[in-house]
Amino acid sequence: MSMLKIDNLHVRAGDKQVLTGLSLEVAAGEVHAIMGPNGSGKSTLVQVLAGREGYEVTAGSVSYQGRDLLALPPEERAREGVFLAFQYPVEIPGVNNVYLLKAGLNAMRKHRGLPELDAFEFLALVRDKMKLMHMDESFLNRGVNEGFSGGEKKRNEILQMSVLEPTLALLDETDSGLDIDALRVVANGVNSLRRADRAIVMVTHYQRLLDYIEPDSVHVLSGGRILKSGDKSLALELEKRGYDWVRQEAAVA
Amino acid sequence: MSVVTLQESRSSGERYRAAFDARWPATDALIELRRAALERFVAAGFPTQRQEDWKYTNLRRLEARTFAPATSAAVAVGGWIANAGTRIVLVNGHWMPALSSIEAQLPGMTLLTLKQWFEKDPAAVATFIAQTSRARPSALEDLNLAFFEDGVVLDLAAGATPDQPIYIVHQWSDGSAQVMSNPRVVVRAGANSRCVVIEHFVGANAGECFTNAVCEIDVAAGASVEHYRIQQESLRSFHIGHVNVRLQQNGRYASHDIALGASLARVNLSTTLQGPGAHVALNGLIAPLGTQHLDAHTSIDHAAPHTTSDENYRGIAGERGRGVFNGKVIVRPDAQKTDARQSSRNLLLTPGAEIDTKPELEIYANDVKCSHGATTGRLDAAALFYLRSRGLDEADARALLIRAFAESIVTSIGPAAVRGYLEQLLDERYKVIS
Repeated sequence: MSMLKIDNLHVRAGDKQVLTGLSLEVAAGEVHAIMGPNGSGKSTLVQVLAGREGYEVTAGSVSYQGRDLLALPPEERAREGVFLAFQYPVEIPGVNNVYLLKAGLNAMRKHRGLPELDAFEFLALVRDKMKLMHMDESFLNRGVNEGFSGGEKKRNEILQMSVLEPTLALLDETDSGLDIDALRVVANGVNSLRRADRAIVMVTHYQRLLDYIEPDSVHVLSGGRILKSGDKSLALELEKRGYDWVRQEAAVA
Repeated sequence: MSVVTLQESRSSGERYRAAFDARWPATDALIELRRAALERFVAAGFPTQRQEDWKYTNLRRLEARTFAPATSAAVAVGGWIANAGTRIVLVNGHWMPALSSIEAQLPGMTLLTLKQWFEKDPAAVATFIAQTSRARPSALEDLNLAFFEDGVVLDLAAGATPDQPIYIVHQWSDGSAQVMSNPRVVVRAGANSRCVVIEHFVGANAGECFTNAVCEIDVAAGASVEHYRIQQESLRSFHIGHVNVRLQQNGRYASHDIALGASLARVNLSTTLQGPGAHVALNGLIAPLGTQHLDAHTSIDHAAPHTTSDENYRGIAGERGRGVFNGKVIVRPDAQKTDARQSSRNLLLTPGAEIDTKPELEIYANDVKCSHGATTGRLDAAALFYLRSRGLDEADARALLIRAFAESIVTSIGPAAVRGYLEQLLDERYKVIS
């Protein structure tokens, strides 16, 4: 059974119909890459999955581990194991990074009937994860993403992901704005989270990320629908030929 | 017609005149000073919204009631900030020695209550009050002068640096109602002295009371005064505060003005920078909930060159609460090289809440740097979603963002005891998870 089953999803943002019948299935253990031109609806898809307000689902359904995902508020989705790594992580001055991590992790643990971690256990855990992300401990006591560079923000997203250990990770252009060294660190972080019981869906513009995080499937999203799916060789072909041929193929079919 | 109705039909001036005659015998040593103040108050009356300074705050409710001078009463110990420093407790405006630790006089410091001093040397107090009150008091400052009973006088010798804050508790006793208190606090910081003064207004279980508190602060050359004003009175009470600060060369004054209590509160905080190098920092938090009306009026008068000011006020209005911030900055013609910064940021939690914020800049010098910024907005939807997407439920995420909004005011607080106390108050006010 699929972990995530999106069926004929139609989504409107304001007056604009952004998703127009998107279907996608993701099984546990798989890594999927969604590629597509600007404005094709990639970010909308992952935001809708994470529960962002401001979108109207006009048709279709999303089932996650057999449950109706769209019926849950964002925090419930998070506690059920859905994690969105933001394309533009939000700066929240006055809220401590470490406070948010701990509050988030303990909310998950409580939800799963596990005891909350005390400050010592928590710090030990976070320090380990920070090493993996090449992050300095001073990050912990700064405001959430406050004054972080683009690369630091993305690393912070993956740090949160590795602490919260999601079941379904949605990465929204996690590679954008990263130099090659930062990209390696982020990709290592993501790869370390690959597990048989976890699925990862990456939205990206560039094939480059897929050199580091090898996907099981690649999908082309255009005009609000998946036009074509394939294995990682599809990404290479897109890199060479662009998206037009996919659109033309879809139009003929 | 009952006597009460007859009384209420008189003007507020006549009613306070009657209260005055009932309270002060003609033999009172300060009677002339008091009488003159009373007559000025009666002539001027309560401020009305026709006056620009009172545009957003209506005192009709206050004016309609008559408050008799409060007498002291027993109160339970506690509810105060623990380990805040040398404590002086005024209950209903009267010093309570048994609750205070005033006996522990610190080196270089003279700490007296006005009443103590008055009993020893009334003529000296009369001279002192005349000298330390403003040249042209406002009507409500005059009301204080006419009726004040007690207060605190803090004198710091040149170079004195007491090693602990002076913690002044203004407490309303449980169940007090239809009474007023007119406390006076006078701080005279000698050259190069330093002190921390904490004024704490409490009495959650009091009824409809009226606090009309005056605080006069003189900061001599090179001296530094850090002043906390935490107002947590009963939700039925009226609170008017007058803080007047004068600074000489290189003097420093930092204010932390926290408005959480009272049904209607107004603080007039006026600072005058009279010597070059003087600096004021005004930090404030106005946090009305329910139907509270909380008003902060500040004035920074740059009267000498090379003076600086840094003002940071935050407003958080919830439910049907109403907040007012008015920040006046005056730069006198001679006050070249003035650097004045003002920031007023406001957060509305509900559609029924309101905050009026107004910068008022009067600049008469040309070589100055003055900046001001005012914003009013709602909780950031993107931040709210970000926190929820990490597993925090909506109420907790909102509370966290509200607390974050107040954080720059909280972190500006020096003494750990005060900061911890305020953090806890705000966590409870906005229900933050720990």
